This record gives sequence, C-alpha cells and structure tokens, in this order.
Amino acid sequence: MDADALAEDVTGAPPIGVAIVDDHPVVIDGVRAWLAAEPRLRVLATGDDPDVVLRAAPEAEVVLLDLRLHGRMVLDKLAELSAAGRRVVVYSEHTHPDTMLAALDAGAVAFLAKHEGREHCLATVLAAADDRPYVPPALAGAMVGDPRPDRPSLSDKEREALLLWFQSMSKASVARRMRISEHTVKQYVDRARIKYTRAGRPAATKAALLARAIEDGLVRPEEIGIYRSQAATDRPTP
Amino acid sequence: MSADLGPSVGAPGDVARRPRLPGGPAGAAGERVAAGAAASAVASASDRGARAAAVTIALAWHVAIALPAVLVAWPDLAAPAVVGVGWLVTAAVGGLAGVRLLRRAPLPTRRLAAVLLLVDAAVFAAAGERYLFTTANWVWSGLAWFFVLVLWRRPVRWLLALLGAHAVIALGELLGHGATDPADLTRYAMYVYGTSSLPVAVFVGAAAIAALARDRAATAAAAGAVAAERVAAERAREDRRSRLALVSGTAEEVLADLAAGHADPADPEVRRRCVLAAARLRRLIAESDDVPDPLLHELRAAADLADRNGLPIEFIAIGVPPKLPVAVRRRLADPLTAALADARRWARLTVVAGPDEVVVSLVTPDHDRPHATGPPAAHDEAGPVEQVHERDGEIRWTQTRWQKT
Repeated sequence: MDADALAEDVTGAPPIGVAIVDDHPVVIDGVRAWLAAEPRLRVLATGDDPDVVLRAAPEAEVVLLDLRLHGRMVLDKLAELSAAGRRVVVYSEHTHPDTMLAALDAGAVAFLAKHEGREHCLATVLAAADDRPYVPPALAGAMVGDPRPDRPSLSDKEREALLLWFQSMSKASVARRMRISEHTVKQYVDRARIKYTRAGRPAATKAALLARAIEDGLVRPEEIGIYRSQAATDRPTP
Repeated sequence: MSADLGPSVGAPGDVARRPRLPGGPAGAAGERVAAGAAASAVASASDRGARAAAVTIALAWHVAIALPAVLVAWPDLAAPAVVGVGWLVTAAVGGLAGVRLLRRAPLPTRRLAAVLLLVDAAVFAAAGERYLFTTANWVWSGLAWFFVLVLWRRPVRWLLALLGAHAVIALGELLGHGATDPADLTRYAMYVYGTSSLPVAVFVGAAAIAALARDRAATAAAAGAVAAERVAAERAREDRRSRLALVSGTAEEVLADLAAGHADPADPEVRRRCVLAAARLRRLIAESDDVPDPLLHELRAAADLADRNGLPIEFIAIGVPPKLPVAVRRRLADPLTAALADARRWARLTVVAGPDEVVVSLVTPDHDRPHATGPPAAHDEAGPVEQVHERDGEIRWTQTRWQKT
C-alpha cells in the first residue's frame, strides 16, 4: 500500500499504536477486527472517553475518534488533542461537508466516513502515522465543494483530481480520465489536502503534515508562504 | 443505527448543518426582487382607472366646456388667435400626455409643464379684462387638469408649485387690469381654491391608492413565497418520514432475521439485503436540504426508483445548485437517469454544486451492454452543458457539467 511503511515493517520497526474512541462497542469491535488484519498496526486502547483512553495508552501514535460521543459533537476535544500533537483521524457517520471541513480546521489529520470501509480505514491510519495526507473520497468531495470565501485556492488540476476521485472512488479511473499517472493523481489530491493545513487555527498536527510534505517533495518550502498566489501553477513534483 | 438517525435528520446538535453557499441568500434576494416587481405591476394596474379618469376629465372639460365658451366669445376677445392657438397647443399636450399615460410610457414632464405655463400666461393676457372671470378664459378653470396629467406619479409638491405659478399669473393679470376691489380679490381667491382643490384631491387620491395597492401586493407576494416554502418543506419532511419508515422496516427485518438466526451472514442474498438497507439509510442521513432543489429532487427521485428495483445506490450532493433553467436541468439530469436505468450491482450518484458550476456524475461497474444514453457533448442556448460518457473496463462513468458563461 505504502512503500515506506512496508520498508519499515521489513526492517522490523515496532507496529504503530492505535487508540479507538467510539461510544458504540460494535464499531470498536469492527474497527479492531479490520486493524487486526494489518501487522503494522496494533490497537492499544479503546473506549468512549478520549481522556481515559489516552491515559491508558499515552504512547498511541494515531487516535481514531468518533466525532459524536454520547450525542455531542466533540470538535473542541478534537482541537485540543490536535493542538497537543495527537494525530487524530476523525471517524464519523456525519459526513456533511461543513462537518468534515470543520474537523480539518480543528486539526484532524484525516476525516474518514464510517461507510468508506476497511481499505480506506487502513490507508488513512497508516498515512496518518507517517504524517502523510490521505484523502478518502468523501473528504475530497467536501474539499472540492468548499463554499467558504476563505477556502484555500486550489489549482484547476487539483480541483479536477479531487472531483473525479470523489465521483469515481478509483484513482486508476481518474488517472485514465485525466491522462496522467496514478501517482500524479495522488500528488494533486495530496497537495490539495496540504493546502488545507493553512486553513483554520494552527495545530501541531498541521505543522507535521506540512513538514512531511516538504520532506517528501510534495510542496516546495518557498511555496508555503505564498500558497494563494502559487495556486495556479501545476507542476507535479518528480 | 436507527438511534443515530434521529439527531442527524433534524436535531440541533449537529454542527453547522446548514449549507453556507452564497446561492442561498442570493435566491432569497431574487424572490424579493420578483415580489417587488409584482407589487409595482399591481400598483400600476390599480392606478390605470385613475389615469383614465384624469385624462377623460381634462379632455372633456377642454372640448365640451372651454371650446364652446371660446367660440361664443371669439369676436370680443382681446387676441382671439392667441387664445385659439393656446387651446390647440393645450389639446395637443393633453393628447400626448393621455396616450403616454395610458401606455405607461415616460413623459417629458418639465418641457410639457413649461409649455402649459407659457400657454397659461399668454391666454390670460389674450382673453382681456372683460373675460377674465369667465369660461372663455378657459385656462383658469381647465388648465389644472392638464397639470395633473403632465405630473402624474410625480411628487405632489410639483403640482402645488405649478398651481402656485398658475395663481400668480392670474393675480398678475388681475393687478394689471386694476381689478383690485375687495370683491375682485374675493372672487380671485374663490377661483383659485375652486380650480385647484379638485385636481389636487384626484392627484393625491390616486397616488395614495397606488401606494396602498403596492404595499398590499408586496405583502401578499411575500406571504405567498413563505407559504410556498413552508409547503415544500413540509412535503420534503413527509417524504423523508415515509422513506424513513420504509428504510427502518427493511433494516429492522434484516437485523431481526440475523439476530434470530433465520438469516445467514454468509448467504449472498442476505448480504445484498444488508447492502441495500445500509445504502438507503446512508442516503437518508445525507439528505440535508429542507426545501428540495428541483435538480436534486429529480436526481433523488431517479435514485429512489433504482433503489426500489433493488440496486444499492449512493446519492451524495454537495452544495446547493443555483436556479437553473429547465432546459439546463434536463441536460444535467437526463443522461444520468438514463445511465442509471442501465446500472448493474451498485451505483454512485454525486452532485457537486456551486454558484458557477454544477457537476453531476454517475459511476457504476462496467458491463458488456452498450450505453443506453443520448447524444454526446451538447451546447444549448441556456449555457453549455458538457456530457462525458466513459467506460474503462472497471467502471462506467457518466458525467454532466454546467458552467456559468
């Protein structure tokens, strides 16, 4: 799935610790079953209270957080965890675009819709552990339809890649349609996501995503300060 | 699952559930403009009777009362030709103003008012002392009605100013002829009052009626819009409620069968029922529009139909489409509904809409049968709607895209 993560596994790196916070035991059990099939991941703690769960497993590298706990949206808790540097993957059935964008603004590393399934869930958690972006189709839709006047300005290619990824859920099909490689499709989508690290309040997780994006050559350091004016240039990085 | 459904369908707990597209307020403003236009149309229609009455009074007075008096007094007038020409000019002004008024065309108000004042002064002078207070000096009693015609729909102070000038001209003539007896001055005052009061009353009355009608029509239009919106919202709620009943029914049935052990999770048929029930629930949760947009409504209806035929379908709409002409809407929706009829196994129908762009897409697994959809890429006069049909062995992809030009 991801070359780097695979390499780490081969070199015997310890598995990534995951904490799951959800108020439905059935969801916890289901997600635990999904993650159990992936040797690079290990579930350290689960529960319905983020504080309790993280006290039990302070070393957890990724937190899967249900956005609605006991009938309350926990965006404030999400912001608090993200500010403290916790990599939070929001995992929710509330897939209204506004909710997804609010979660990104609050510092969530990724937003995963509950119906998006095992493959996206694993990919998201693995990417999050490396501070790499992963944009599942539902989040791509929210980003491409973002109506806010202060939204990050995306290039035409980035918009198109997001739109087609949202529509088809198949990067191979998007690549054929745009006549580019799958790798380039992923770059456009990920670069759009990185632009969102500059929306909303600053968070340690956003800085980490941005730093890793520069390290990976996804964006150039000189582009960071001038994202808005650079948005029109479409240069897939090698 | 159904416990979660309640809040997401309509409770206040959800964060920022309302769409914030600029389309919303713009649509409301558009409705207000439409209501305003309707109101002014009503005002002008209700004003039509008053305009016809004013034109009739002015011209009838001019022809039936002023003309015979002038003709009878013709030989004894100081300057009969001037009085006659004045009469003709005024008749022309009245005719022009009348036609324009009845057709609701604009009038050169200032120029016509100046012409009338000129005629006023000339005829007063040309009538002579002997005919000063008689009907042969027709301007005194009849001209005020022409002022009313020329100044229709203008502020009432313009009329008062013209009538004031009219009174000053008359007073000047009076003084010029040395008719300064108390009796003459009293007659003068009575004449001024008598010739001005009725035209002013008609003028003010017509303006008031028009304003009232405009207000009432605007209120009625606004109330109508609110009522229509409420009916639409109620219908949407009813629809949603009946769908919820249907969905919970299917979901409960499958869950109960599973719980009781009647259904085997390994059975493909049971899995298909689960997928179908889950897809229905998700679509219901995703519905967030209180008053359905016509395009989304059409697509949702098509999705519901496919669902009833047993096709698990996802329908996700992001953003609110702007008001689109019916032709554009058809071109956006029809290829999708046609492709949907052809779909196998599952379908994903998406809409991404903003004020300047609407993209509708349907993705289904590819199969061997040819596309049953209409002609490719088309442009029409209401703005370009682009169509893309693709199949790549993995999926079939139908996309329509409208962009504001």
